[in-house]
Amino acid sequence: MNLITIAMFAAILLVSLGITAWAARRTRTTVDFYAAGKGLTAAQNGFALAGDWCSAAAFLGFTGLTAFYGMDGALYAVGPLVAFCTVLLLIAEPLRNTGTYTIGDVIMYRMRQPPALAAAVVGTIVINLAYMIPQMAGAGVLIKLLFGIRYDVSVMLVGLGMIVYVAAGGMLATSWVQIIKAVLMLGAGAIILFLALAGVGFDPLVLFASAEAKAGPAFLLPGNLLKNPFDEVSLGLGYMLGLAGLPHVMTRFYTVPDAVTARRSVIWVMFLAGAFFAGTTIFGLAAVHYIGPQALRVGNPGGNLTLPLLAQYLGGGKETLGGGLMLGFVSAVAVATILAVVAGLTLATSGAVANDLYVNLIKKGQVEEGQQVRVARITAVLVGIVATLLGILAEGVNVAVLVILAICIAASANFPVLALSLFWRRFNTGGVVGGMALGLISSVGLALIGPAYLGANAIWPLVNPTVVALPLGLLGAVLGSLLTGRNHEHEKRFGEVKFRIQTGLRSNR
Amino acid sequence: MADAVKLSDGELAPNAWIEGVESTEFKTLIDAKQRSIVPMIVIYMIGYMGLSILAGFGRGLLGIKVLGAVNLGFVLIAGNYLMSWMLAVVYARISANRHDPLVKIVVDKARASGAAR
Repeated sequence: MNLITIAMFAAILLVSLGITAWAARRTRTTVDFYAAGKGLTAAQNGFALAGDWCSAAAFLGFTGLTAFYGMDGALYAVGPLVAFCTVLLLIAEPLRNTGTYTIGDVIMYRMRQPPALAAAVVGTIVINLAYMIPQMAGAGVLIKLLFGIRYDVSVMLVGLGMIVYVAAGGMLATSWVQIIKAVLMLGAGAIILFLALAGVGFDPLVLFASAEAKAGPAFLLPGNLLKNPFDEVSLGLGYMLGLAGLPHVMTRFYTVPDAVTARRSVIWVMFLAGAFFAGTTIFGLAAVHYIGPQALRVGNPGGNLTLPLLAQYLGGGKETLGGGLMLGFVSAVAVATILAVVAGLTLATSGAVANDLYVNLIKKGQVEEGQQVRVARITAVLVGIVATLLGILAEGVNVAVLVILAICIAASANFPVLALSLFWRRFNTGGVVGGMALGLISSVGLALIGPAYLGANAIWPLVNPTVVALPLGLLGAVLGSLLTGRNHEHEKRFGEVKFRIQTGLRSNR
Repeated sequence: MADAVKLSDGELAPNAWIEGVESTEFKTLIDAKQRSIVPMIVIYMIGYMGLSILAGFGRGLLGIKVLGAVNLGFVLIAGNYLMSWMLAVVYARISANRHDPLVKIVVDKARASGAAR
């Protein structure tokens, strides 16, 4: 079984390294490095978005949550699709029209004041690290399990992979790694869905009835995982507005030539990723139906191995060639999934550090093109090393809190700042700083004193604080703007911003 | 921004946007966008947050059986998938048929009157 996984994973690795070598020769300028030359098609960016947005939490997590907790797992899976409604209607096209490489670009273009850019950089780095550490830790656990390699060595191997992809091949290589991963993930999902439904005569109602009969009458009700009702509301709010504040997903809209293509790529990802999310609910129910709720928990306390176990069962079971093939395939795709997501995060973080912090904030834009690319590559290596070290330190730490935290900060700090920058005339640098500060502090503070971190000794009742942190972040943004006084020149220039949001035309100066 | 990205993104003379923003064509565009986007935002926010709030506070209601073992909660979850996909298709069509031609008029006019290059 290990041999099959290793062979499949080696094949994926070879193809992605080949692509990286090809992309490295085509990556000469900053627009190549950060935005793949702005040359991706809608379908390519749609697949890459699906690759970026479906992390291991989606690929392995949603199936496991549905198998263990019933409806709450399905609620976890539908949110990430609805999240794209916000992106489609409010964010994708304006972002494409106003920014160049990063979210910080948009904030700086609107505000033209260094503190606003600095606040945006802090937001991006905190969110990306909070998102990245659990992915690295998850990869370490998974590789250790699959190949028997030590945890710290596993994390270092993942770190090495992502550094090579990003530093050498930039956004072009990162995009293609994500496209390949998305195709493999969707392929694996389609095969598992077909086999799972074939066993019940293609009648999903049988899966619902059987899962309820086997796991108990409360299984199909909400609240098995999220006991506190407000946690269900936080989950919904966090998803609905958090995706639009995640820098590594939003920077994907800079890889396409225009706003129309950005919009079409969102339509692509909504059908690709949405279908996969819906599939995970069926997979979870199928795992309970075929394997049974008790047998499923053996050696799988967190639920993350539910999908590999289901794939093995559907392939013919343990000790069979089919079962081994399916298990190997799904495991290899899971590792590829993590590698693609951490590569995207490394690139987005390097953008915030190299482009926003070094070039625009410290050097005021006075850096030669060739030098900018060199700085970007070096930054990617450094970011990769830091993330790898943090991933090694995170062994055994409850990493679930960090994923929740990343989405919560994205919804509470980044989203209000980004949305108000695009649509509110009165919004100013004070608002950016206020919103970012209050959103960040309330998310991090409340998560740290909540049950996800303190367990039974929690001072604050909610695992996910978005329901409180988001209004606070918004309040900080509004108060920060209103309290710092009006600047009529700045407000008048909002017309220019508004014109560029709609047309993509920018003023020459 | 020091580096100028010259792709499909055009550049305008420094104050050409003022005329652009105040033109009737631009106002028509904004009106058309608001008329279609605002109702869609209301629809998905009510549809999805309604589901999330019921998942927290209407657990008995979501447990009502609708079709075999499938309860109202799962029907509403399926409804949210369908709602998102329908909004995606409808928005794509409205944008391509109504918004994009209006954007083109505004862009062409701005380029003709204030193009720097």
